[in-house]
Amino acid sequence: MRNAAILVMTIAAIAVQAQFALQDKASGSFEKGPSVVYLFPEQVTVPAGKASTMALHFRIGQGLHINSHTPKDAYLIPTTLSIPAASGVRLDGATYPAGAEFTLPVDPSTKLSVYTGEFVITAQIVAERGNHLVQGALHYQACDNNACMPPKTIPVAIDVIGK
Amino acid sequence: MKRNTVVLFVVLFLLAGFGWAGWANWEYRKQAAARAAAMAAPAELVMAAEGDLPPSIVPLMHKPAPDFTLEDLSGRKVSLANYKGKAVLVNFWATWCGPCKIETPWLVDLRNQYAPQGFEILAVSEDDLDLGDKQKLSEEKQEIAHFAQQMHMPYPVLLDGDAISKPYGGLDSLPTSFFVDRNGNVVAAQVGLTSKDEIEGNIRKALGAVK
Repeated sequence: MRNAAILVMTIAAIAVQAQFALQDKASGSFEKGPSVVYLFPEQVTVPAGKASTMALHFRIGQGLHINSHTPKDAYLIPTTLSIPAASGVRLDGATYPAGAEFTLPVDPSTKLSVYTGEFVITAQIVAERGNHLVQGALHYQACDNNACMPPKTIPVAIDVIGK
Repeated sequence: MKRNTVVLFVVLFLLAGFGWAGWANWEYRKQAAARAAAMAAPAELVMAAEGDLPPSIVPLMHKPAPDFTLEDLSGRKVSLANYKGKAVLVNFWATWCGPCKIETPWLVDLRNQYAPQGFEILAVSEDDLDLGDKQKLSEEKQEIAHFAQQMHMPYPVLLDGDAISKPYGGLDSLPTSFFVDRNGNVVAAQVGLTSKDEIEGNIRKALGAVK
């Protein structure tokens, strides 16, 4: 009987502790997602030493927009993709989608060129033979209808295999 | 008797444990549902209406505005403390910020209208500066100066706002404005683009014209 009581109490104590853990997780601060996330691909295989393309997919948070690669105002920050020079993969160029025309409700006269939702950048690359963990970067500046967030650079991690 | 007492305690303990577990689970589900609803809602950077300020701004309200000293476009050092006795709008903005560009003409008008009553705007630029590269720094300053000239900003334009963003709540989005009364206290704040009327109302509050 005594052993049974100890066993029951031990189980109850574990259950109580599990609840504490659950509560800690639930009461943690709600982390805001980034304005733009890189979706895919995680890995591409291309012929080594030859010009190839890879389509990089991104998603912008709901209710937000970012400037296209060719914003209409010189002060606005364009969206740009970069790949570090010494990564074994050379970025020869990138084809950006055309921006959609957008106006802020409060100022319909000013036309902006932006991306919203999902967009694809086609990168022209030349990869050396071998496996390269490329840490590319997307630089952008996001706004909603009323305010803008500071410019940001997110990592674009791709495993490029040159064969 | 002794055995019965132990069994009773164990049963009571278990019942209490289950009851508490049920309550904790209910709380967790409630929070998870709220989180899911927040994720599904369109992302909003701003809570422009007064009384709905971001949590990082709220602690600044009705307290002395954090003092700062920054350089203006001509290299002159400007401190908020120098404006004690005046109502001041500390406006954080950037050249790349579209909504800032929309509100600037309103600010220019309001500054000219209320300056005779002892009102000034300090426009703190949040544009990045390459402080370690003289050539780049000079170009960046020129760009900000050109923007200020284009927008006919008649008030001091201060540089390197990033240096003071922390005491002003981190400045996650622009424009962000703090309305400081004649005693140096923050009486109102706005995050994001609001309206000229709302800005004017807050200027009047800072001037002591409205309670």
